[in-house]
Amino acid sequence: MDSYDSDPDSGDKCNLNGDCSPLPDKLPNDLNHTKNIDDIATPSELNFDQEFAFEDPEITEKKKEIEACLENPDVINVDQWETFAKTKAGLISDEYRRKIWPLLVGVTQDELTEPPSLDELSTHPEYNQVVLDVNRSLKRFPPGIPYEQRVALQDQLTVLILRVIIKHPHLKYYQGYHDVAITLLLVCGDRASFPLLCRLSYGPKAPLAPFMQLTMQPTQHLLNYMLPVIRRADDRLAECLDKSGVGTMFALPWYLTWFGHSLNRYSDVVRLYDYFLCAPPLFPVYVTAAIVLHRAPQVFSCDADMAMMHCLLSRLPDDLPFEDILVVAQKLYEKNDPTDLESEVAALERREEEQRKVEDERMRRRRAGRVVPSPSLPYRLARYLPAPLRRTPRRTLLALTAAILAVYVYYKPELFR
Amino acid sequence: MSTSANESVPGLKQKKVFKIIVLGDSGVGKTCLTFRFCEGQFLDKSEATIGVDFRERTIKIRNEDIKLQLWDTAGQERFRKSMVQHYYRNVHAVVIVYDITKPETFHSIASWMQEIESHGLMGAPRVLVGNKCDCGTPESRLATTYAQRLADKYGMPLFETSALLDSECDNVESIFMTLAHKLYSKQPLRVISVEGELGPRRVTLSRQKRPLRNDTCLCS
Repeated sequence: MDSYDSDPDSGDKCNLNGDCSPLPDKLPNDLNHTKNIDDIATPSELNFDQEFAFEDPEITEKKKEIEACLENPDVINVDQWETFAKTKAGLISDEYRRKIWPLLVGVTQDELTEPPSLDELSTHPEYNQVVLDVNRSLKRFPPGIPYEQRVALQDQLTVLILRVIIKHPHLKYYQGYHDVAITLLLVCGDRASFPLLCRLSYGPKAPLAPFMQLTMQPTQHLLNYMLPVIRRADDRLAECLDKSGVGTMFALPWYLTWFGHSLNRYSDVVRLYDYFLCAPPLFPVYVTAAIVLHRAPQVFSCDADMAMMHCLLSRLPDDLPFEDILVVAQKLYEKNDPTDLESEVAALERREEEQRKVEDERMRRRRAGRVVPSPSLPYRLARYLPAPLRRTPRRTLLALTAAILAVYVYYKPELFR
Repeated sequence: MSTSANESVPGLKQKKVFKIIVLGDSGVGKTCLTFRFCEGQFLDKSEATIGVDFRERTIKIRNEDIKLQLWDTAGQERFRKSMVQHYYRNVHAVVIVYDITKPETFHSIASWMQEIESHGLMGAPRVLVGNKCDCGTPESRLATTYAQRLADKYGMPLFETSALLDSECDNVESIFMTLAHKLYSKQPLRVISVEGELGPRRVTLSRQKRPLRNDTCLCS
C-alpha cells in the first residue's frame, strides 16, 4: 500500500519498499519535516512532538545526502547507512528510518511476509503475558491516536511479538520486549518489523538475545559492565554509587528496552535506535554509563542511600543531550573495550557473590528463629583478636576488658559526663 | 544500606524509614496500588514494571514523621530470581497483591509465600490485598470467604480494594497504615536497634499499643 490514508482499518499500513512520499497535507506550523509514524496516523492530528521550526543547515545538508542515497539504495554500502545513523541527529526522520532501519540490520525483500492473524496465535503459552503488557503500552502511542487505530496497532504488536517467539521457541519473552517491538512497529510497519525484530533477537550477536534466555542472569552480567566503565572514567562517582548500594537495577529497563520504556520523548527513543541498530550489542550499556557520568553532579549531591539513588537515577530527565551522550559513549567504548573489562566485571561479581553468601547466612539465621541481624558484637570483635587470644576463656576476657575500660575511664572521665 | 546508619545519629532528627515490598503476579495492580497510596490518585497510563520501581510517602504516627518506602516489583517470574532478590534485603514488611477477577493470580499466592519465606520474611508484617474489586461481576469475583480462609492460614490481614475507585482511597490508605502501625509498634526491635549499638547511645521509644482499627483483622 503506497498511499497514506486515514482509514484506521487498513491492515498493512506501511511496508518496507512502500513509497513513503511526503504527506499530502502538512501542518502549516510544521515547516520542515518529521512526521512521526505519519503513515499510521491521521496526518493532521498525530505526531509525537513538534520539531524545531528552523532547521540546522547541517541537518538540511544531511537530509539531502540521505535522500540522494535513498534514490538508489541498492548501490549504497551498509557503512554509509551506519554513518548516517551514527552521526549527529541520526536518521533524522521516520520517513528515512522506515527505509534505512531494515537495511542497517540486513533485512531483505523476501523476508517481508504477511503476518498471521491474532486468533491463530492466541493459544501460545505467553499470549496472556504479552497481551497484558501490550494493553498497558498506551504511553508509547502518539497522543491523540484514534481508539480504533491504537487497538489495531496493539493487535499488530501482539502478533509481532508472538511471531518471533514462535519462530524461535527457545527465546523467552520478557517484559520490556514489547517496548522494543513497538518502536520498530511504529517506524517500520508490521511487515518489516518482523524480520527486523528477529535479527535483533536471534543469533550470536543479536543484541536482545541475552535478555531472552531462560533466566535474567546473562542480562545481569552484561549490565555489570556499566560500573567498571564508570569507574574508569570517574573513580569518585563509581565510589559514590558503590557506597549507596544502588546496583544496576535502575538501568535495567533502559537496557532491556533500549530506553524505549524510560524516555518520554519519542524522538529521543528513535534517535537512540538509529545508533543501537548498528552498534555493538553492549553499546547501550556504555550509553547508560555515559548518562550516569553526565548526571554525576546530581549523584554527588544525593544521599548515599540505595532508595534515593535508585529513585534519582531511574527517572531520566527529558532534556538529556543525547547527541553528546552518544559521542561520550562511543569514546568510552573505544577506550574500554568489553574484553578489557572482563576481569573487573568478574571481580565485581565475585564480590557480589560473597555479599550474597553473607546475606544468605543472615537469612538462614533469621529463619532459624534467632533475631540476630548480623554477627554479635563480641563475635565481630573476636575477629580482630589474634588467634591465641580468641581461645582465652570468656571470663578472663571480660576481666581484661573491664580493666582496660577502667583505666580508660580514669583518664577520659569527660566521656561519661 | 545506610538508612539504619542515618537513624543511629542521636539528637539528629532523622525520619524513620519503613521499607515495604509489594509482590504479586503481573497485571494485578501493584503499580497502581502504590501510586494510589503515594500520589493519591489513579495511575491512568500504567505500564508494565521492569525490574523494580520505587515510591515513597511520609506519614505521621503519633506525631512522628515516618517515611514509607514502597518497592514496586515486576510481576513476571523471570525478574524474581536474581533480579528482585536484592530488594528483599532489609525489607520490613510485605504486601502481596492478587486480582480478584483472576483466580490464577490468587492461586500463585502460595508461591509468593514461599518466596517470602525463602527470604526469611515470615516474621515480618504482611498483608494480602485483593485488588480490582470494581471489576467484573459479583459472580466472577473471587469470594471473600475463600480469600479470607487463605489469609487466615498464613496469618495475615486481608484487604479487598480498588486502586481505581476514589471511594476506595481510604481502604488503600489503611493497607499501608496497618503495616506502618505494626512496624511502629515493633520498632524497638526492628528499626531502632542498630547493629553493634552500645548502651549509652540507644534510643528507646515507648512501646506503643497497636491502634485499633475496626476494618481489619490484625491477627498475625
